[in-house]
Amino acid sequence: MSNMIRKAGPFEIVNHWALAISFFALVLSGFGFLFHLEQMNALFGSFSRMRFIHNWAGVIFMVSLFLTMFTYLPVSLRLGSDDIGWILKAGGYLSKKAVVPPQDIINTGQKLYYLVFLLTGSAISASGLGIWFIAGVKKWVLISHLVHNISFDLLVTIIPLHIYLGTLANPGTFRIMVYGTVPLEWARKRHEKWVRRMGY
Amino acid sequence: MTRKALLISPEICIGCRGCQTACKEWNQLDGVKTSNAGSFENPPDLIPALYNRIRYVEVPTEAEGQRWLFVSQRCMHCGDAGCMKICPAPGALYKTPEGAVAFSKEKCIGCKLCVTACPFDVPRYDKDGKISKCHLCSDRISQGLPPACAKVCPTGAIRYGERDDLIASAKKTGHEKVYGEMDLTGLGALYAFKDAPRLYGMNENPAIPESVIFWNNILKPLSYLGLGGAVALALIHYVAFGPKKNEEVTRDE
Ligand code: HEM
Ligand code: SF4
Ligand code: SF4
Ligand code: SF4
Repeated sequence: MSNMIRKAGPFEIVNHWALAISFFALVLSGFGFLFHLEQMNALFGSFSRMRFIHNWAGVIFMVSLFLTMFTYLPVSLRLGSDDIGWILKAGGYLSKKAVVPPQDIINTGQKLYYLVFLLTGSAISASGLGIWFIAGVKKWVLISHLVHNISFDLLVTIIPLHIYLGTLANPGTFRIMVYGTVPLEWARKRHEKWVRRMGY
Repeated sequence: MTRKALLISPEICIGCRGCQTACKEWNQLDGVKTSNAGSFENPPDLIPALYNRIRYVEVPTEAEGQRWLFVSQRCMHCGDAGCMKICPAPGALYKTPEGAVAFSKEKCIGCKLCVTACPFDVPRYDKDGKISKCHLCSDRISQGLPPACAKVCPTGAIRYGERDDLIASAKKTGHEKVYGEMDLTGLGALYAFKDAPRLYGMNENPAIPESVIFWNNILKPLSYLGLGGAVALALIHYVAFGPKKNEEVTRDE
C-alpha cells in the first residue's frame, strides 16, 4: 500500500517479541520465587524447572536486550530542544489540546524510556549472572541479589506503562510490533522529523 | 510443641569427635579423604558430607604452653533464620515443630543463596548442588529420639532437650551468659562458654545481612506496589484523558 510507511523491519519485530516473551517468563517466575507462588507450578512444572527456565530465559533476554542497542540507542541519545518541548507539554498526554514539537522515529518519552530500560535491563542481567555463576562469593552474591531485586521493582513498574502507551493509549501503535508498518498520516502526526527525513 | 535445642558445653568436650562420626553414620554421609594441614582439626571446614565438625583451637598460654579448645560447629537452628528468608523455593527449608531448621533436597533448586544469608556460614552443597547441613536430626527428634550427636557424646558436652530447661541448667552451673539465648530470636544451638566466644572462633554478634533484611521488608512488597501502581496509573489515565486517537492529534506547524 502506498500510503503506509515501514517503521520496523523483521529483525526489529522478531527481537521485540523475543524480549517481550522472555521478559514475561522472567517476571512470572521472578514473582514465583519472591512470594513462593506454588500456583506457578501449573505453568512451569516445578520450582527446579522454573529456575532452569528463568535462567535460560534470562540469557535470551540479555542477548535480545543487547541487540536493541543497534535499533534504538543512537536515536535515544540524540536529545535536543524538541525533546525539552515535548517534556514541557507532557508529551500531549495530559491535554487533548496540547501540541508537541515534531518527533523523530521514536518520541522523547520513548527515548527516555529506552535509556532507563537499557540501564535497568543491563543491571538485572549482570546481577542475574552474578547470582547464577559466582554462588559462594558471599559479598558479590549479596550485592547481585540486591541489584537484581531493585531492578526488578523498577522494571515491573515501567513495563506496564510501556505496554499501556504502546496499545490502549495510542491506537494504531501495536501494529508496529506485528506488521512493522503504519499509515503515513499516522506517522506524519507523531514522527514528523523522521517522516521528512525519509523523503515524504 | 515447646521449642527444643542443643546445649553445647565446650569445657567438658574432650575432642573425641564421636559426634562427628555418629552424625555421619546416621545421615549416611560418605567418608572423605583429607590431608594433614598441621593441626588435629579435620576436615578443616564444614563440607557437604560433614554436618557437624569439632573445631580445634590452640590458644597459647604462658603457664602451660598452650590450651586446647574444642567446639562443635554446625547449623544453629536460628529462630529468625536468614537461610529461610532468602530461599526462593517453598519447602526447601522448613521449621519442624521442635524448632529445627530442616531441608528437603527434593524441593531445593540449588541456587546456593542460603549460605549468603546465613550468619554462621553453614549451608554446603552436594554434588547435585543441593543443600547439605545439620537438620537437628529432624527424622529422629520427630520420633522422640535424641539427635545422634547428643546421644553418642560420652561427656554430656552435647545435650538435647527443652530449650528453656537447657538455658536454666546452664545458668545454674554458673554460665550467666548463654550464647544464642537471645540472638536472632534465639538459637536452637546454645553454647555454655566460660571464655569469650570469640576465642572459640564464634561470631559474637550474629546477624542476617542488612541487604537481605532490606530486600525482605522493602524491596519485596515494593514489587507488587510498583506493578499495581503502574496498572492503576494507566487505568486512571485512560479514564481521565482517554486514548490519543489519530484524529485528535494536531501537528506543530
Ligand atoms: C538476564 C539474565 C538473568 C539471569 C541470568 C537471572 C538469574 C537469576 C537467578 C540465578 C536467580 C536466583 C534464583 C534462581 O536461580 O533462579 C534469579 C532470581 C530472580 N530473578 Fe532473575 N535473572 C535474569 C533476569 C531477570 C529478569 C529480566 C527479571 C525480571 C524482570 C528477573 C527477576 C528475578 C526475580 C524477581 C528473582 C527472585 C528474587 C531473588 O531470589 O533474588 N530476573 N534470577
Ligand atoms: S540452595 Fe536450596 S535451600 Fe538454599 S536457598 Fe537455594 S533453594 Fe533454598
Ligand atoms: S545457622 Fe545458618 S543455616 Fe542454620 S538456621 Fe541459621 S541461618 Fe539457617
Ligand atoms: S543433630 Fe543430627 S544432623 Fe545435626 S549434627 Fe547432630 S547428628 Fe548431625
